[in-house]
Amino acid sequence: MSTDLTHGHDDHGHHHEDTWLTKYIFSQDHKMIAKQFLITGIIWAFIGGLLSLFFRMQLAWPNETFPILETLLGKWAEGGQISNDFYYSLVTMHGTILVFFVLTAGLSGTFSNLLIPLQIGARDMASPLMNMLSYWFFFAAGVVMFSSFFVQTGPASGGWTAYPPLNGIRDISINIGSGLGFDLWIASMSLFIVSSLLGGLNYVATIINLRTKGMTMTRLPLLIWALLFTAVLGILSFPALLSAAVLLEFDRILDTSFFLNNIVIGGDLLAYKGGSPVLFQHLFWFLGHPEVYIIIFPAMGIVSEILSVNAKKPIFGYKAMIMSIGSITVVGFFVWAHHMFVSGMNPNLGIVFIIFTLLIAIPSSIKVFNWLTTLWRGNLKLTPPMMFAIGFISFFIFGGITGIFLGNAPVDLPLHDTYFVVAHFHVVMGVSAFFGMWAGVYHWFPKMYGRFMNDTLAYIHFWGSLIGGYLVFVPMHFLTGVPRRYYSFEQFTTFDIFQDVNVIITLGAFLVFATQIVFLINFFYSIFKGRKMTSDNLNPWGANTLEWTTPVERIHGNWSGDIPQVYRWPYDYSVNGNEINPQTKPLEEGEEEH
Amino acid sequence: MTTTLLSLFAVFLFFLVIFYIAKTIELSSIAKNGLKNDYVKSTKVNAYLAMFFYIVGMIILVMTTISLAPRMLPESASVHGVEMDKMFDVTLWVTGLAFLLTQTLLFFFVYFYRYNEDRKAYFFPHSNLLEMIWTIVPAVVLVALVFKGIGVWHNVFDFQQLDGKDPIVFEVTGKQFAWVLRYPGADGKLGPREITHENINEFNAKYSLPNELGIVWTDKASQDDIYPNDIYLVKDRPVLVKLGALDVIHSFYLPHFRVKMDCVPGMPTQFMFTPMYTTEEFKERLKNKKFWKNIDPKTGEPRWKGFKFELACAELCGKSHFGMQKNVVVVEQEEYDAWLAKQKPFYKTVVKKAMDRVDNQ
Repeated sequence: MSTDLTHGHDDHGHHHEDTWLTKYIFSQDHKMIAKQFLITGIIWAFIGGLLSLFFRMQLAWPNETFPILETLLGKWAEGGQISNDFYYSLVTMHGTILVFFVLTAGLSGTFSNLLIPLQIGARDMASPLMNMLSYWFFFAAGVVMFSSFFVQTGPASGGWTAYPPLNGIRDISINIGSGLGFDLWIASMSLFIVSSLLGGLNYVATIINLRTKGMTMTRLPLLIWALLFTAVLGILSFPALLSAAVLLEFDRILDTSFFLNNIVIGGDLLAYKGGSPVLFQHLFWFLGHPEVYIIIFPAMGIVSEILSVNAKKPIFGYKAMIMSIGSITVVGFFVWAHHMFVSGMNPNLGIVFIIFTLLIAIPSSIKVFNWLTTLWRGNLKLTPPMMFAIGFISFFIFGGITGIFLGNAPVDLPLHDTYFVVAHFHVVMGVSAFFGMWAGVYHWFPKMYGRFMNDTLAYIHFWGSLIGGYLVFVPMHFLTGVPRRYYSFEQFTTFDIFQDVNVIITLGAFLVFATQIVFLINFFYSIFKGRKMTSDNLNPWGANTLEWTTPVERIHGNWSGDIPQVYRWPYDYSVNGNEINPQTKPLEEGEEEH
Repeated sequence: MTTTLLSLFAVFLFFLVIFYIAKTIELSSIAKNGLKNDYVKSTKVNAYLAMFFYIVGMIILVMTTISLAPRMLPESASVHGVEMDKMFDVTLWVTGLAFLLTQTLLFFFVYFYRYNEDRKAYFFPHSNLLEMIWTIVPAVVLVALVFKGIGVWHNVFDFQQLDGKDPIVFEVTGKQFAWVLRYPGADGKLGPREITHENINEFNAKYSLPNELGIVWTDKASQDDIYPNDIYLVKDRPVLVKLGALDVIHSFYLPHFRVKMDCVPGMPTQFMFTPMYTTEEFKERLKNKKFWKNIDPKTGEPRWKGFKFELACAELCGKSHFGMQKNVVVVEQEEYDAWLAKQKPFYKTVVKKAMDRVDNQ
């Protein structure tokens, strides 16, 4: 094991004085970087959520005008109505921001950084410098993406999936958002991928090499396993997106034909020859599908920890949980083309992807049953993080189940690119991932800021989000045949019959957004004025894991003395006559390790 | 302006009130119990709320289903779609059962195993038997769904089924933001296309007439092809639709026929299906159905009367993606023949004149 190396780092405990700049801005302390990821993620979530309100208003009240929209958005909402160009920008940016900036960087970035060193017993990441760079590449990606809102032709509007030829030709007569806005999108995504790779390599290296004495792989908390597999997925899949993005930009500015063939525009054949638009989709979804596991794994890990702590029971089936998340990681690389059943790829190829996609539902259902059994005969403290963890399971079941429809090609064909799909992926990787994230924020807030968040506001946040989440996405499932990405349905008698349902969905979206304002108030207020964590309350939730052995002051190097040694797995709850048995507690006489 | 400001102020006050209530509760708890919160009281409150949410939620779910289900797409109007709908229903029953079971367990556990200082949690780290059960049961169910699914999927794309069936073969090409329909003329053959600079750009330059599809107009087979406005199909006669796109990806979507296939520039695709009812027959089937017998406020007539089959685009293709509508009409063979006979070949009405004008100069 690598204990010599970690103990050799002891001088980190007496770190040289940090200046304001190195402490808060260019910090190399994993805990500060985690907070940077979190707060940046929260800001992006606010922006991304706000964008969704704009297009939800259009869908609910397509013929009304809202002068305030013109005040806020100017030429994009002339006369108080969102233009169709901008509508498509809104959905594109909403997707990009939420998938990548919030639920990838904000979720995995925050909790990998905060908890990997703290839970495995390390002073910091394997490379603190790389870790800092990872954040700053993410920040730069954000700046570039944000700047695309202010270019003449507007931000990208060809969908977050960026399919060519719509996004492959730099001609705003095809798609106004395919001008400079989309170049910036590609630049931003490239920076983002660099960030993600720097982070991911660091997380893997840290987990493999810097575990404290006694922290064998089978004594790792499930969250660390989840973060490890998340990082592995990212390292193996993000490069595919980077290559796709770079080749796409070549098509756009160097007139290559990687993804373009026989394009006729304005009555003339363009010079592109021999490329394949479907190839781009393969490359995109080779990342795009593992990406949903990148998003959901950290949430699953967080939920596993929080359930076990608050039920005061070991997580049920620890090894089965590791194996199922591991098999999702492997099989997750062979399911991407279930997004492409009707893309024109050979239908026989679809058969392979039906098999693997439904196969992957097995480990997912094992996880659900194991969580449920963890609750069974527990002694549940329904703390705010626990409520969010329960909400996560509820939504994950809901969203996972609709995946069975979509993974099966003949059922998917009528549903593909309809609101059923929108509802499915929002529930399974949007709402449930958010519930996992909130659970984590409430649970580890004291570790980040030495204070607690207000519990009443937290419960309001929970119930508002739970009710709002169901209010938005249950009715949406009934729009089974209605195509997504429609600015208006008035041209179709078939689809223009859901106006009242769209109003309900939009009201639900407003409820969710208002509830998040409660969260924002609570979060930022509690950083400065929240209930204090005191030195006699170092382990407020009664957890076994190592992060609760560090002092209230969040020092660079984490532990003021030696890094504690680990003697047992983290789930010895309600055994040996003790409610909790921290990992640092040696095995008792005659006790067998689990 | 004042109303906007006032409502903003009201919203602000609302959040402020919530905040102060929450803060007061926290301060009084700190005054009573110090800085540690044991969550005993809030556990009880939230357990009751959870049970309440479960019960009310399930009732609302059932009510939503009853009220919205009649509005979902009506039964399939094509033969293969019936199989797809059956698969959907089977999947719905299986997953619905799993949904009910797991959500019930979840909320019941939350309610019944809420914190009680007299109870001790049961140390239960794993059980091979239980884990085997919930690995094998889902596995068996999923394998069954996979087998059924592959069978249906295979049939949908088994184009050999068309051999000897005399299908209607026509061509649909997507472009921003319209569908170009091409039916063969009297010879029953679609004229050839050549996607070349010569045939498209030079033709356009020479005759000032776009030839976006790259039709070889000198070929006899091209000269009687028709370019109708609506899609006409024949009841019980198979259809093979040849799909393509000019500029960006579009997707040929006939919701009522459970047909969807992307139209990709530079890569031909195709789809086959068989309509089961004429449009009029389908209207009759809807006549007495729940949602369809209601009055449509837009037309003042029962909804079934205004029913029509439609073609939509299902792949984001630009700013007017939502406007690519075409009507689909299913008729009996005689009516189809009559319709076909009325259509004038585009070559005769437009192309030949333009070519003659230039060639004869």
